[in-house]
Amino acid sequence: MHRASAIRIAALAGVLIAATIHAGAAGDMTYPDWEGQWLRIGGGGGLDPAKPAGRAQQPPFTPEYQAIWEAHLADSQAGGQRYNPQIHCLPSGMPRMMMAYDPMEVVVTPNTTYVQLTYDNEFRRIYTDGRDWPADMEPSFAGYSIGKWIDQGGSGRYDVLEVETRGLRGPRVFDGLGTPMHEDNQTIIKERIGLDKSDPNVLHNEITTIDHAFTRPWTITRSYSRDRHQLWVENICHVSNQYRIIGDDTFMVSMDGYLMPLRKGQRPPDLRYFDQSEK
Amino acid sequence: MRYGRGIWAITASVVLATALSGARATDAKFPDWEGQWARTEGAQFDPSKPPGLPQKPPLTAEYQAIWEAYLRESDAGGQNYNPQARCIPGGMPRMMIAYQPLEFIVTPATTFVVVSGRNEFRRIYTDGRDWPHNVAPSLSGYSIGHWSDDGGDGRYTMLEAETRNFRGPRLIDASGIPLDQDNQTVVKERIHLDKADANVLRDDITVVDNALTRPWTVTRSYHRVRNPTWVEDVCDEGNQWVFIGGETYMRGPGGLLMPTAKDEPPPDLKYFKKPEAPPKAQAQ
Repeated sequence: MHRASAIRIAALAGVLIAATIHAGAAGDMTYPDWEGQWLRIGGGGGLDPAKPAGRAQQPPFTPEYQAIWEAHLADSQAGGQRYNPQIHCLPSGMPRMMMAYDPMEVVVTPNTTYVQLTYDNEFRRIYTDGRDWPADMEPSFAGYSIGKWIDQGGSGRYDVLEVETRGLRGPRVFDGLGTPMHEDNQTIIKERIGLDKSDPNVLHNEITTIDHAFTRPWTITRSYSRDRHQLWVENICHVSNQYRIIGDDTFMVSMDGYLMPLRKGQRPPDLRYFDQSEK
Repeated sequence: MRYGRGIWAITASVVLATALSGARATDAKFPDWEGQWARTEGAQFDPSKPPGLPQKPPLTAEYQAIWEAYLRESDAGGQNYNPQARCIPGGMPRMMIAYQPLEFIVTPATTFVVVSGRNEFRRIYTDGRDWPHNVAPSLSGYSIGHWSDDGGDGRYTMLEAETRNFRGPRLIDASGIPLDQDNQTVVKERIHLDKADANVLRDDITVVDNALTRPWTVTRSYHRVRNPTWVEDVCDEGNQWVFIGGETYMRGPGGLLMPTAKDEPPPDLKYFKKPEAPPKAQAQ
């Protein structure tokens, strides 16, 4: 009798302890392990890393925005960068920031997944608390992101984060070659973020951009490789930025501290507010 | 038999209680610092004193003279001394003034601090690591923290952080209170909720720096907003200052350059091609 009780007690204790361990683990196991430093795989020249930068990207532009892009490409070839907000240290915003020029950190918490880009401290909050779109959304470069966790593999553990981002403002372009988005800033970006099924140290982000500059949604996939031994290096645009906007034009400051033209034949800035009378 | 059932019941209760207690401990171990934390006081470093000279930072004579030169420059309209006027982040400890509201993201291994608006960002590592040997210096520095439970109830209440490994340029506040150019600053913090008001967070900040004759301790406080709206603040868009060489200019109407002080010379345009002189009138 005593032996039977002891066995039953031991069995119950075992079940409860196992349940306890499982319950404790479930708290940790619900969300995927995305800790670490994520470095982009593929180039930063164009949003689609599967194609070369420039025209080969073949974004599905309307004729109007194809013409705008061609003008940006011509500006770039002439040495200009006026179309490129990043040279003025403006944030890339979405979706360009997900190119991850510098490494990225993803912090997963139950209510919010945070994405921090080392390049100029760009930062996103992806709300996963079930909220709806706010009525008074303040437009921003990163936009307002609502996410939903999916257990695609049916393992009891979330493995895909589906995200939709709205509430964007400009100026934004897709890349350093000025691939444009519509000036109405009605862009909607949908993402499916998840680890590679065969390599948990690779994160994929399938990004679909819906924009009035396009004839149809444009879907590309960016990937990132994990470095567990994180060494974060600050990269602040303004520390090294040599560009200066004066009036409607962009200039550079030389290494010896003088204003200089950015392109051949560029006129100097209008200095009408200075007293330049001979003294 | 009864004895056996009793043991069963007691054992089951103990195991279940342990299980629940364990689960609670996991959730309750770290304090609830969620939400948006907005500063409750002025933007001078020591909020208990007026800005400017009354701050009385314990500067060495050399750095007091440097500060007074910055104050004169500021009075004359210049901001060349101020990295933030160039949109360079404040770094530590200035970022904890929280010009824009803060967010604390507490995870077991790291507490992240985001200064909203311009997204200044800190990682305070609480995973027991030691100081690294191969990390590049930064404006926000490298922070190692330690949680403590001063209430003795098994729940952490205080995050003690130490920050080292800095680079410049950094100042303590907008008036230009300087830090030593050697960037050997050490910042110690004790971050905790107010004992009487869980919606007030305190940061006791001690700055140890070779520009100071002794450590300088201030307490900054922040008030919680539970369901916040975060607003982006892009420095370069609203920035009126333009820096060329050692001179500070302003953006005037049409975005054109304007002087910041009377008789300030315009920038030297020596790298621009001089306009051709108009042709001389021919003698009739």
